[in-house]
Amino acid sequence: MTTICFEDVEVSQDIPSLFKGPMTTAHIMRWSAAMENWHPIHFDWRFATEQHKLPDVIVNGSWKQHVMLQLVADWAGETGWLWKIRFQFRGMNVPGDTLEAWGRVVAKHDRHPFGVVDLQIGLKNQKGDDGTPGSASVVLPKRNGPAVPYPFDPRVLGPQKG
Amino acid sequence: MKNHVTDDVRAIIGAQSSWNEATNAVEASEVRRFFQAIIDPKPVYWDEDQAKETRYGGTIAPPAFAVHAFRRGTDETIDPLDAGLDPEFDGVSRALRPGLPSVPIALPRVLNGGYEYELFSYPRVGDRIKCRSTYRDIYQRDGKTGPMVFIVIEDEYATADGRPLLKSLNTMIMR
Repeated sequence: MTTICFEDVEVSQDIPSLFKGPMTTAHIMRWSAAMENWHPIHFDWRFATEQHKLPDVIVNGSWKQHVMLQLVADWAGETGWLWKIRFQFRGMNVPGDTLEAWGRVVAKHDRHPFGVVDLQIGLKNQKGDDGTPGSASVVLPKRNGPAVPYPFDPRVLGPQKG
Repeated sequence: MKNHVTDDVRAIIGAQSSWNEATNAVEASEVRRFFQAIIDPKPVYWDEDQAKETRYGGTIAPPAFAVHAFRRGTDETIDPLDAGLDPEFDGVSRALRPGLPSVPIALPRVLNGGYEYELFSYPRVGDRIKCRSTYRDIYQRDGKTGPMVFIVIEDEYATADGRPLLKSLNTMIMR
């Protein structure tokens, strides 16, 4: 687990990607069973392709979100805090896809005594289709500054400058 | 294009559920199946000795675990899979949250458009998770493939003893 200070981060830097897959119908079934999600588009090929006109059974958006959360939470580490994250399920993923969750720093905000870093994030398949565009904000400690409190309360953030 | 956001639909914007508690407290085996399914086997999810040394004070569940903590109740006698025997059933429930009215729109498909989360803390094994849901907005956009209705649902998750977990804005799309 990494320990990152606000000062260590530069705008336009990439964060380490996370890879999953190749995805199989069993991955989808394992998640659906754990979640008790019985929607047939995730396990019934005929229902998915004939009734819903989908290319195949599809990987749950609910599963993909946890890959995005893992990407950013792992980067924030045990001293930072994944404060906000958003993503849209625009593109579908199907069995056979290999997925890369990626992130790039797009902005830094001094919220003394802490820092907030904004990221652009996405989930790309092996063809380069980026079907889950999103963004995230991570709270980081400053060097020699106080630890980010847990549980996190956004009221600890100082006013945004600029 | 037909307007699906009728007065009946508009009337449920702002509807808020009461706080509902998850069927069961967070269980270690449920957390295990969860992190194995998302392929994220970090020790903080299962190794109590190691997790004790972290800011969490013990093992935790993955960040947005609470979003999936609400399962079929033990006293719910209607089996949701019975609907599968109905040839008219399209595999879609329009009752989007417990304690909120169904969305009276007859469009055949319901898709999950995405989430926006604000996180405050992570669940621990033994926590009882509660949730309160609100229809924040319902609006229609007409696209090339026909009308799409966006339903924005806010969910506030906390532990039963009042520790905030996360706030979610979920956009469901009917089309």
